[in-house]
Amino acid sequence: MKIIAIVSAKGGVGKTTVTATLSTALRYRGHTVFTADLDPQNALRFHFGISPQEIKGISRASLAGQPWAETCCQSPSGVIVMPYGSVNEADREAFENHLDANPTWLRSQLDTLGLDDDDIVLLDTPPGPSVYMRQALTTASVVVIVTLPDAASYATLPMMEGLVQTYCTRRADFSSYSYVINQVDNSRQLAKDVVQVMNANFGERIIGLIHQDPSVSEALAYDKSVLDYDVRCQATQDFVNCAERLSALIQYAGHTQ
Amino acid sequence: MSEDTDLPAPRSRFAAWLTRSGDRMLSLKLWDSRVVRWMAMLVATALFGLVVTVPLDLYEQLGFAATGFIVAMVLSKTGSRLGTLAMMVLSVAASLRYMYWRVTETLGFETWVDSFFGTGLLLAEMYALIVLLLGYFQTAWPLDRKPVPMPPDMSTWPTVDVFIPTYNEPLEVVKQTVFTALALDWPVDKVKVFVLDDGRRDEFRAFCEDVGVGYVTRDNNRHAKAGNINAALQVTDGEFVAIFDCDHVPTRSFLQVTMGWFMRDDKLAMLQTPHYFFSPDPFEKNLETFRAIPNEGELFYGLIQDGNDLWNATFFCGSCAVIRRGPLLEVGGIAVETVTEDAHTALKLNRLSYNTAYLAIPQAAGLATESLSGHIGQRIRWARGMAQICRVDNPLLGRGLKLGQRLCYLNAMLHFFYGLPRLIFLTAPLSFLLFGAHIFQASALMITAFALPHILHASITNSRIQGRFRHSFWNEVYETVLAWYILRPVVVAFINPKLGKFNVTAKGGVIDESYFDWTIARPYIILLLLNMVGFGVGAAILFNGGSIEPITVVINLFWTFYNMVIASASIAVASENKQIRLAPRVAARLPSTVRFSNGRTIACETQDFSQTGLGLTLPADMEVPLGEKVQVSIFRNREEGVFPAVVVFNRNNRLGVHFENLNVKQQVELAQLTFARADTWANAWGNGVRDTPLTALKTVVRIGFRGFGLFFKHLYSMATAPRHTRRASAPKLDTGDK
Repeated sequence: MKIIAIVSAKGGVGKTTVTATLSTALRYRGHTVFTADLDPQNALRFHFGISPQEIKGISRASLAGQPWAETCCQSPSGVIVMPYGSVNEADREAFENHLDANPTWLRSQLDTLGLDDDDIVLLDTPPGPSVYMRQALTTASVVVIVTLPDAASYATLPMMEGLVQTYCTRRADFSSYSYVINQVDNSRQLAKDVVQVMNANFGERIIGLIHQDPSVSEALAYDKSVLDYDVRCQATQDFVNCAERLSALIQYAGHTQ
Repeated sequence: MSEDTDLPAPRSRFAAWLTRSGDRMLSLKLWDSRVVRWMAMLVATALFGLVVTVPLDLYEQLGFAATGFIVAMVLSKTGSRLGTLAMMVLSVAASLRYMYWRVTETLGFETWVDSFFGTGLLLAEMYALIVLLLGYFQTAWPLDRKPVPMPPDMSTWPTVDVFIPTYNEPLEVVKQTVFTALALDWPVDKVKVFVLDDGRRDEFRAFCEDVGVGYVTRDNNRHAKAGNINAALQVTDGEFVAIFDCDHVPTRSFLQVTMGWFMRDDKLAMLQTPHYFFSPDPFEKNLETFRAIPNEGELFYGLIQDGNDLWNATFFCGSCAVIRRGPLLEVGGIAVETVTEDAHTALKLNRLSYNTAYLAIPQAAGLATESLSGHIGQRIRWARGMAQICRVDNPLLGRGLKLGQRLCYLNAMLHFFYGLPRLIFLTAPLSFLLFGAHIFQASALMITAFALPHILHASITNSRIQGRFRHSFWNEVYETVLAWYILRPVVVAFINPKLGKFNVTAKGGVIDESYFDWTIARPYIILLLLNMVGFGVGAAILFNGGSIEPITVVINLFWTFYNMVIASASIAVASENKQIRLAPRVAARLPSTVRFSNGRTIACETQDFSQTGLGLTLPADMEVPLGEKVQVSIFRNREEGVFPAVVVFNRNNRLGVHFENLNVKQQVELAQLTFARADTWANAWGNGVRDTPLTALKTVVRIGFRGFGLFFKHLYSMATAPRHTRRASAPKLDTGDK
């Protein structure tokens, strides 16, 4: 089981889109892919065509003491999705308290799924420090930090790296962390400069530059992945390349049970 | 001796065994002894002398020749340089044996006519033999120098001035070179770019101020380009000078690749890189052989300069080179005494025991001369300049040179004297067919038995040495086109080196309609007609019988036919194909993206690029209106440049876009992502199809037939065209020697 946490320090960087599209792209590369939504916004499901009326999810299952396997839905592309689930405020608070009290909750839940060594689990998380992110960071073998090519996002990266240092780097089953820069537009000088600075600072850690592309948001409106909606656009190309890098990165990561 | 990567792998187990045995023999301990080496040399020389001089009758000679040739064929299958050297020895033996026999047995001329034509042919043959021998010497062991990395500490890197001399070239051409020079990967405070404008043009000054490069002029044009550079040396101070003709665009890695050797070798004064052309020269354009057949320059930059490098005799070629300022000033700057100031400067540096080096990695590319007349004008200058050096600073004489250097420079000079010998070879059989002269006092069979080994050995040996850079029989074509034109300037310059001026080679132009250059083609037409007459007369003699040996006639007919093919191929070169674009395209598949005005994107790749636009291959047919404004991205690893452009063409998945209003920063960036890419030219270098003599012969014969047809077609259309529509004035060849 190779666990990849998709994180960001700041909201609105397109983390859920990146998680969903990378899941599909990895699936198209032939991997078995599970994607779990640890974000109370419960928005990941929309990227996989799951009905808005569907209420099941990992929050409800955990509170009810049911196994995760019950929450799984399969997307048309074959990704197995575990939504966050619909809960009221009180239940959410109870759920978060539960996570706070059980630091190994995520790990043990994933173990109950009985996955193969080569199966991939992607974890979508809410922006900024939270119990969800802590669970994800303490479990993941690979962390992908999503950021935008702007000054504000760039400024938050040290904080994100600090969290990775705290929760990941000392673990024996941790492999590496990397960056995906989303919504790149090199025709704007500032964006270009920030990309250049990031390239200079992070080098090979950058595994993806995803260009700003209207097809990405249009695809969501049509209930599709951009990979299927516009095969030939630049963003599709970028996600495919990124998945290839990620796939190479996790090849030797996290062979632990 | 390790395997030579230049050569094809051994083609059989026997050849592989032979290759290994040769290597083992060379690695024997006994060669370490000086005595053994000298003894071996002595014995070999004595045996060699015997091989060259021993008289044999016809059948013995035939047997000897056949054996030698079979051995050479076997050697040609081996994969080591030892095999090549052995082939050279066999070839030299066959040729010297032929020449010895020729001088001792075939010169009993009976009439004045015989001895006139006979002596002429002999002298031409001797010239060819000397050039053959010098050529073997020069290319015996190409050095194959590799780049040396720069030290990691950038503070130790030297300062470099980049000179871009120009006289009358259009600003658009010079701009590209300036933009790529600005894109050079070198510490910003250690590189300065200067445009050296001998035209003193205001638009150039304004452009240089705009983009922030140096603009240097002088108040006269003395000594043309050499004087221009020397004047700039007075007002600049970089430790090194990199020189680019204004139409040679360097790659961004140029300095990093070339400067390492200067750091390692304090005595290194000049390092040259190949002149690589991304547009076809007139041969390639008019014969449609671009990238299929090695062009005229590839032999020099692919092999000869690499061979010169072994002897520390690399020539400076005027562009795409780096020179250390100190030694350059020591020899008084760029040489001004001759019109090939570049080679002469290198000679002077070598005389002061400075080293010169060659690095066979294209790190710059340029425009080839677009018309045959321009091409010929340039070669005339080279020929004249070499003849001048031969007179004013003869490499065989004077101090400071090693024997190897003297011979390399000598060959470079002698090479340009091929005009007369080539014309003699192209007309020699006519003296027999038309005048009945017996220029060879020997039976046809004896001639065959001696001359054929000489020719065949030289041909297969050269094919092995030069295979990647010159195909068999093309030498004849290239020389025939130029022979008549360089003959007079070379003789004039040799008699009086002060005559003649520097003529600038025009480039980057447009040939707006196809035409036949009757003026240029005149010598080839005369050669063709003469040989046709000779062929007719010879055929008549053959059919009417008579006292003449038929085999002699047949041999002469073959020779005449070959000459007709070569003359016709030259005529084909003079049939100018039109060249439409001012800014030539470079075929290259670079990852790119088009962003349409509605924001939609499509990932694709380029088909070609030019200074002004891109050809893109779309993954599918798309509806794109002409005139639509788009943003085009070009990628180079993580780098991405975005350029505004407008769609000018859209058909069959092909999208043509024209850049719009690029600012200076964007121009430099575009240059970095296209022309200045380090790998752009190196990938195509020396990777063409290797020579196989029979295929090459077929190609040349095919082109000969085409030229033959073209000649009569053009003749017909000229005869039938109304007088007033004929081309008013064909471009006059400016030989610069008036």
